[in-house]
Amino acid sequence: MPDPQLTVEDLYVRFPTSRGTVEAVNGVNFTLEKGQMLGIVGESGSGKSVTAKTLMNLLPRTAEVDGNIIFEGDDVRAVAKERRKHFWGVKMTMVFQDPMTSLNPVKRCGEQITETLRYHLGDDKATAKKKAIDLLEQVGVPEPSKRVDQYPHELSGGLRQRVVIAMALACEPSLLIADEPTTAVDVTVQKRLLDLLDGLRRDRGMSMILITHDLGVARGRCDDVAVMYGGRLVERAPTETLFADSRHPYTEALLRTIPRIDQPSHTRLEPIAGRPPELIDPAEECAFAPRCRYAQPDCLGTIPPVGGVRGQHEFACFHPANTDRGRQALDANLAAGQTVTGLQIQANAGVN
Amino acid sequence: MTNSVAFTTVVDDIDDEALDDAFKKRLGFGFWVAISWLGLVSLAALLAPWLPIADPNEIANGAPRDGILGDNFMGTDALGRDVFARTIWGARISLGVGFLGILLGIVVGGAIGIAAGYFKGLTDQVISFVVFSLLSFPSLVLALLITASLNRSFLTVAMTLGIVGIAPISRLARATTIQFAEREFVQAARVIGAKSRRIIIKELLPNVLVPMGALTLLGMGISIVAEGGLAFLGLSVEGEAISWGKSIVDGSQTRDLNQNSHVAFVPIFAMFLTVMALNFAGDRIREYTDVRETAF
Amino acid sequence: MARFIARRVVQLILVLLSVTFIAFGALNFLGDPLVNIVGPLAAIDYCDEVEAGLREDSYTSINNSRGDCEIIGEAKADFGLDKPVIQRYFTWLGNIITGDLGTSFQTQLPVSEIIAQKLPKSLMLMVMAQIIALAVAIPIGVYSAYRAGRAVDRATSVASFGLLSIPNFALGVIVLQFFALRNQWLPASFDDTSIGTRIHSLILPATVLGLGIAATYQRLLRTDLLTTLQEDFVHMARAKGMTDRHIMTRHALRPSLFSLITVFGVSTGALIGGSLVIEGIFSIPGIGSEIVTAVVRDDFPVVLGSVVVIATGFVVINFFVDLLYTWLDPRVRAS
Ligand SMILES: Nc1ncnc2c1ncn2[C@@H]1O[C@H](COP(=O)(O)OP(=O)(O)OP(=O)(O)O)[C@@H](O)[C@H]1O
Ligand code: SF4
Ligand SMILES: [Mg+2]
Repeated sequence: MPDPQLTVEDLYVRFPTSRGTVEAVNGVNFTLEKGQMLGIVGESGSGKSVTAKTLMNLLPRTAEVDGNIIFEGDDVRAVAKERRKHFWGVKMTMVFQDPMTSLNPVKRCGEQITETLRYHLGDDKATAKKKAIDLLEQVGVPEPSKRVDQYPHELSGGLRQRVVIAMALACEPSLLIADEPTTAVDVTVQKRLLDLLDGLRRDRGMSMILITHDLGVARGRCDDVAVMYGGRLVERAPTETLFADSRHPYTEALLRTIPRIDQPSHTRLEPIAGRPPELIDPAEECAFAPRCRYAQPDCLGTIPPVGGVRGQHEFACFHPANTDRGRQALDANLAAGQTVTGLQIQANAGVN
Repeated sequence: MTNSVAFTTVVDDIDDEALDDAFKKRLGFGFWVAISWLGLVSLAALLAPWLPIADPNEIANGAPRDGILGDNFMGTDALGRDVFARTIWGARISLGVGFLGILLGIVVGGAIGIAAGYFKGLTDQVISFVVFSLLSFPSLVLALLITASLNRSFLTVAMTLGIVGIAPISRLARATTIQFAEREFVQAARVIGAKSRRIIIKELLPNVLVPMGALTLLGMGISIVAEGGLAFLGLSVEGEAISWGKSIVDGSQTRDLNQNSHVAFVPIFAMFLTVMALNFAGDRIREYTDVRETAF
Repeated sequence: MARFIARRVVQLILVLLSVTFIAFGALNFLGDPLVNIVGPLAAIDYCDEVEAGLREDSYTSINNSRGDCEIIGEAKADFGLDKPVIQRYFTWLGNIITGDLGTSFQTQLPVSEIIAQKLPKSLMLMVMAQIIALAVAIPIGVYSAYRAGRAVDRATSVASFGLLSIPNFALGVIVLQFFALRNQWLPASFDDTSIGTRIHSLILPATVLGLGIAATYQRLLRTDLLTTLQEDFVHMARAKGMTDRHIMTRHALRPSLFSLITVFGVSTGALIGGSLVIEGIFSIPGIGSEIVTAVVRDDFPVVLGSVVVIATGFVVINFFVDLLYTWLDPRVRAS
């Protein structure tokens, strides 16, 4: 089996701040095969964007990074000086959340696409402009030859995100990272944009990392899904496995926040109670414990290591859901009416 | 339940700590150094008549054009007057006109700015137009226009500096007022039918005064510098009265400046340190009271 | 856009009216208008007697082909001092619109001629100062934002803070002492011989004026750039692999220049005030020195004329800065 296209090993990212060191990413491991789409899911502050920015070399200078990132044989954190110039933006590129702010307001849309072509590929002005019009056409922008001369504020949100996508695709990257690319646009536009991205990556054989806080978005598009919590990957599995047979209690809780086809449509969607974990000086325990319905005394002793089947279905939990150990733990907590951290739980709330 | 109480307490502790941090960070050591210098200079200025220093206007107090640390602590000027004494007496007028000036600017500018921002409509339009017209003069030119045909006493110079400050200050007060007048608590008071005067005094004034605090210090620095500018135009206080600006002008006659630069440099240094202290302390206070910046 | 400009032009005219009125009013209300017209002669109090033939007219004025009381009488008639201020204002306004700014008491020269002679020197000083300010502030501002928080940035912060706290006349005196008197590296006073000597002798004063506003520009540009550098489009440009230099100059700089442009107008005001003072220190016979001399000699036509010219210039500059600002920002331009 050939090496995966992207390997992330033991990635740690911390930010020293006046209030203490923010431990934003804590030992993340994953791989991505060529042409595949990986979903990274998690609630706000779980470290998704920081992980993506690390890959893209976009972290502020103050960030302390540790770990290995190998992309197509290159150590991303130590790309040779000469190759650096045409590495990001050419082989690997990224689309951000908000199309309103991802485009420079005082530059014409066309110029923002052509500058990449001209810098990386050395195209002349006319060629670059022609390519830009082509690209806009490909991403479904109507009247592309008119759009290239327009300023971002003259376009609608959906169109702008298409321009951003065209911009990212200009140099035919082999990996595209999309960080919540549809959060800021209309729901109706959302699905169309996601389908466009999915189609584009299939046509081009491009790999993609789709970051979202909505598991529903990952479903049917991603090959694999990785769930992040408190800067750690707490579960990773092929998408269908994850939906059908999740292990981590946090994933289970996340799944309950999206509508499920196999449940009656009136089933109440539950938000996850409690607040996201503290990232400054976190305790040596499972970060999810205060919100976990399965939590047991051993969860408070050590941080659960990643287990499961490596490369297949990995998860980091001492009492995984949908296993005997998990069921026992849950039953015990239900009987007590609360977990070891004092979380009040009731028997009738969302039985699996 | 006990658990959740414990939990919130922990959170509160953390937030308090962060606030404490912010406080220390923002005011900081430099702030207190600046304040100490300002205190020292103000004290010296206030107590000048009783301090054991030479008579600042006594000609031939020492040998003319004596250097620093000679018979006279800071030397003498071309007429043999004691430079140190003149600098301390100069602080009286420089700080005095600076403080009175900015006070006038804040009281009048603040009042018309609040009026414009609160009443809007015609009041606002008229005030804003006048303010805009005043701002259309470079400030030193405006000061010159006012003082040119007046007798230039301590009070008229202070008043001039104040008038120059009115326009920019009222603009700030207006903007702040508009910003706060839209907030819920003011809207609520309006809905209840509170009187304008009450709303302005109880709800708006305290909030508008916060940015003014920093402005007092920054503006005083500007006024002190402006007095110096007027002195160079020959428009500072008349007669024997001593100000830093006038002392600097005295010392910067070509011949003196070349050989006895201390005559100009001592008051320059005093003015520089004072203005820097005012700017520094003002900046700190502004950062400290600026909600946007403390929020992070 | 056309309507926008039209509105601005109307506003410009209104402001010019109000500015000239304030200038005229200040000198007429605060002082004795007669003094403002005939200068020291206004102190003469025996003209009634002269008129009644009880005593001889005196001839103390420079223009002593005419009697003092004769001059006072003419002035009173010409300027209609018995008429209301508003009416006098419009008479005066009519005169200045036709280019008649009055006559100097001291030299008996038309004020417009004096200004035409002095103003170019001041303008040259101010233009040089602005060029120096921008040439210093933009690269340093960009670099300090790029290296925010590092040693270079901290050093520039301290330097510009210091510069902002030192009044321009103080800096002028120090610079004059060191560069021109103690070491004769650069001239201490204006040399009108040729364009070369003019520029050469303006280097020191223009640097003094320029550095003061450069500090303001640098701080502002740095803050704005830091805000801009947080923007997603900057991250996007980095994700596209553009170079730091390209991002700083082609993406971040332009949207960060807007506040710099707004203060350009304001700083011109500071520059005008500064040059009034600096001209004296460096013996530049510009409009600033002229005003200072005129004030000392109670030569009010010169003071008023110069102030009106300066204020008008300042208003007009701000008007164009405003238009430029609008034109540069495509978001505003469209609406
Ligand atoms: N430059 C920084 N300095 C300090 N802390 C940072 C910095 N960047 C990110 N963080 C912190 O790292 C944590 C993870 O942030 P991240 O942006 O990766 O979250 P996310 O999963 O993308 O969330 P969202 O869904 O809100 O985008 C957050 O707590 C954030 O406050
Ligand atoms: S069961 Fe224990 S280890 Fe697993 S998520 Fe819950 S608290 Fe963490
Ligand atoms: Mg994010």
